[in-house]
Amino acid sequence: MVKRKVRLSEILLNSSVFLSTTLSALALGLIFFYVIREGTTLLNWELFTGNYHSRNYIAEFQDEQLQNYDMPDLSKVENVYPVDRFGIVLQEDIDLAGNGVVRVYYVHPDSPFNKMISKEVGTEEVDLDVGMIFQRISYVNHPTSLSRGGAQKFATELSDPQREVYELFFSDLGGGIKGSIITTIYLIFMTLIIAVPFGVLTAIYFNEFAPSNWITKTMRSFIETLTGVPSIIYGLLGITVFVPLTVRFTPAVNSNLIAGALTLSVIILPTIIRTTEESLRVVPDDHRAASLALGANKTQTTFKVVLPQASPGIITATFLGIGRVIGESAALIFVLGAAIKDTVNIYEPSTSLAVHIWSMMTDEPANIALSSTIAILILAIVLVINLSVKIGVKLLTRKGM
Amino acid sequence: MKGTRTSLSQIDTIVGSLLMILALVASSFIVIIAAFITIRGILPFITDNNGLGSVNVLQFLTDTVWLRGTTFLSTAYGAGFVIINTLYIAFLTVLMSFPIGVLTALFIAKVAPRPIAATMRTIIELLASIPSIVFGLVGVGLFLPVIYGIARSMGYSSGGGSSVIATVFVLSLMSIPTITAVAEVSIRQVDESLEQASLALGASPTQTRFKITLLAAKSGIFSGAILAVGRSLGEATAVALVSGNARSGPSFGLFETTATITSTLLQGLKETNGIDYDIRFSLGILLMVVILTTNLGLNFIKRKVGNVHG
Amino acid sequence: MEKVIETQELSLNYGDFNALSNVNLPIYRNKVTALIGPSGCGKSTFLRCLNRMNDLIDNVKVDGIIRFNGEPVQGVGVDVIELRKKVGMVFQKPNPFPMSIFDNVAYGPRQQGIKDKATLKGIVEKALKQAALYNEVKDRMTESATRLSGGQQQRLCIARALAMEPEVLLMDEPTSALDPMATQRIEELIEELKKDYTIVIVTHSMQQAARISDNTAFFLLGEIIEFGQTSEIFANPRDKRTEDYITGRFG
Repeated sequence: MVKRKVRLSEILLNSSVFLSTTLSALALGLIFFYVIREGTTLLNWELFTGNYHSRNYIAEFQDEQLQNYDMPDLSKVENVYPVDRFGIVLQEDIDLAGNGVVRVYYVHPDSPFNKMISKEVGTEEVDLDVGMIFQRISYVNHPTSLSRGGAQKFATELSDPQREVYELFFSDLGGGIKGSIITTIYLIFMTLIIAVPFGVLTAIYFNEFAPSNWITKTMRSFIETLTGVPSIIYGLLGITVFVPLTVRFTPAVNSNLIAGALTLSVIILPTIIRTTEESLRVVPDDHRAASLALGANKTQTTFKVVLPQASPGIITATFLGIGRVIGESAALIFVLGAAIKDTVNIYEPSTSLAVHIWSMMTDEPANIALSSTIAILILAIVLVINLSVKIGVKLLTRKGM
Repeated sequence: MKGTRTSLSQIDTIVGSLLMILALVASSFIVIIAAFITIRGILPFITDNNGLGSVNVLQFLTDTVWLRGTTFLSTAYGAGFVIINTLYIAFLTVLMSFPIGVLTALFIAKVAPRPIAATMRTIIELLASIPSIVFGLVGVGLFLPVIYGIARSMGYSSGGGSSVIATVFVLSLMSIPTITAVAEVSIRQVDESLEQASLALGASPTQTRFKITLLAAKSGIFSGAILAVGRSLGEATAVALVSGNARSGPSFGLFETTATITSTLLQGLKETNGIDYDIRFSLGILLMVVILTTNLGLNFIKRKVGNVHG
Repeated sequence: MEKVIETQELSLNYGDFNALSNVNLPIYRNKVTALIGPSGCGKSTFLRCLNRMNDLIDNVKVDGIIRFNGEPVQGVGVDVIELRKKVGMVFQKPNPFPMSIFDNVAYGPRQQGIKDKATLKGIVEKALKQAALYNEVKDRMTESATRLSGGQQQRLCIARALAMEPEVLLMDEPTSALDPMATQRIEELIEELKKDYTIVIVTHSMQQAARISDNTAFFLLGEIIEFGQTSEIFANPRDKRTEDYITGRFG
């Protein structure tokens, strides 16, 4: 009797262990599954190189001298609809929000769609370029063609010789993340340039030069405390200290990437100090003693003998720092805001990839597809970094042995 | 010869001092953070905020509505409900993620064969390295519709699924890897002879794991939980995306929208000056105080619990 | 004399390493059997075969027969937990669980499903009395076991094993981490315990083996070189190697 009861409780306990483990593994699977399912449709090179802000154009034909255009061979392409009358080819496609659009697939050099008269103030002549999307075309005495109807209908209506084109409304594709990619790269480089030397030198001080007394101990614990500070608090630090500082000493007039990089530097500093110190600690004291015995001073010993041996640790620290910069959102939202830019300037604010997601998610309605695509990119980078660090640590420990 | 020697050691002194200055700067950041945020955060309470009058400290700490009156025309801010929400959500998060995290650690450290343990460890590391904004994204896309549906079928109205439970789910996902990683290390450090003694007494491996291993590792496991609580309290973007950013509270119902200190901090970002901007620093002070006291409190409990049979 | 445990042609390999080979050894009821030999000779490994603690190590292969009360202890059909209830073990270093004194002793019975408070109290008191610890701890049962002195901790570990009412008590150098006074208390206790229990003790100390054991087995490189009555082995060792070891020429 008693024994049976014990067995039952064991089964329950064991299943709770397996269940928990399954849930933990499932959490990661779920995240990857969801992000990939939602994000892959938009995953293409254009997204990475394209501008976020799309420009709208309203134009009319300069002259409607039509001719016979030689059209390209379309037999191998799907979802394209030629409009022989004007020498253009339209394509059924989706934009970066996943909505169906009518895209321009081909424009003949002599087509009237080149050198149109712009109806906007300022510009005079516009061209219809490959990759642009049609919003609508208005005709004289005929109902307007809308992109909602699909490319086929659009092309059929445009091909109709009865219809005289009155006004064209088209735009760039937009929604690209070029600006955010460039911002992220800028932030990574600037942050590393500030934080890695700073952190490595501080680690050297603590491991090689610092006396072991209460002052050193207090300094260490102060730096250690930084790891527990939430990133949003770093954001507050950024806007009160680094933004005013950079505004004063650089051409920047408001929040800017330099202030962002300074904030990120403080965030990754404790990690870099700790990781570097760990790798300095495994350098055998014999090596220091041997160098000192040869008449080298402490500085020479540290920089010529000790530091080179700690380089795998510093590289690991750098990778961890990159990971943190790529993932950081809250602090950057505070320091840099969430306005997406296409042209990036270090004296101006712009968004990193993570903040780009924030910006998309706080939009009405939230753009989950594009956010997921960016998330795929971020996860891929984080994955590579993680593996690199793992391999790095392995190499480091092998060396240590 | 003598000359070079002195200059070499002089270099050491100079380099040492320069490095010390860097180290001092590095260690001063925490002081700078505390000082600047405290000063900026106290201002709304002691200045008249350009004629609007100062914010009432007591009301700020206890009121159940974020802002009574019109933005930029009122200083009647209240964050009492936000504090309660923050602690409540952190508590629920630990309640949910702690058992899962610890049992996963137990699986990795004691149950799983080596290759599976290694795989699981990598999974946990990856989960830990996922940026919080991605958790927020998955929370919005995956959890909110499900929670919205469940809430509706049960007759609750929820703001598109944004709710206490959604926040707790997202924070739990983020806490599990922290708890697991720390717990696994401390479980592996348990003196093997304790486990052998238990087995030698006729206890089964399962009984030994739950009664002895977890007990002996409790101090480390607790540390992991403290870390996770700290992370839950400080997490901002993911929470802001799924909490619903309620302007009043507190919200105890699982399907109610809610707001934490961090999510409230992220609101009203469009403004760059004025009281609605400055009050965020006051929230910053609140956040630091809440994290600090929670940490001290939990560490106190840990020491007490640890001492009984440590 | 009745044999409680008997091994026949017992061999044990850790991977490629041969830790025990062809060990034949009887353990007699209500006697103290000492296992002596230099470090790494296999005496602890042998001890751990008797309650199958070696199961916990990867890559272990055991050949031969171990019988407990005539029944084989190896093999799939044997309930290892039942075996360990009957064959208790005390470890080299005192290893009380991080819980109260009472809970430590009650741990084993509780795992078997005994919940009744009065029953548990009876078991704990009896075990503590047998381990000669009761008078020292009777007023502080709820205190943490880790606060006891090293010697007390080891007696607590013995009490913990006794609470399962085993037939055999395996002791793996139980006094090696203790001071001489505490060691003496444990040795007296062993003397007392053998009235009710069969004891197998691994020891590094020749004197200890000579003082407390009835039979002694000398191990060398995984083999039994000599087994017999302790008085016999120490006075007239038949094997040269035994003599060398006892007289301190190696080991």
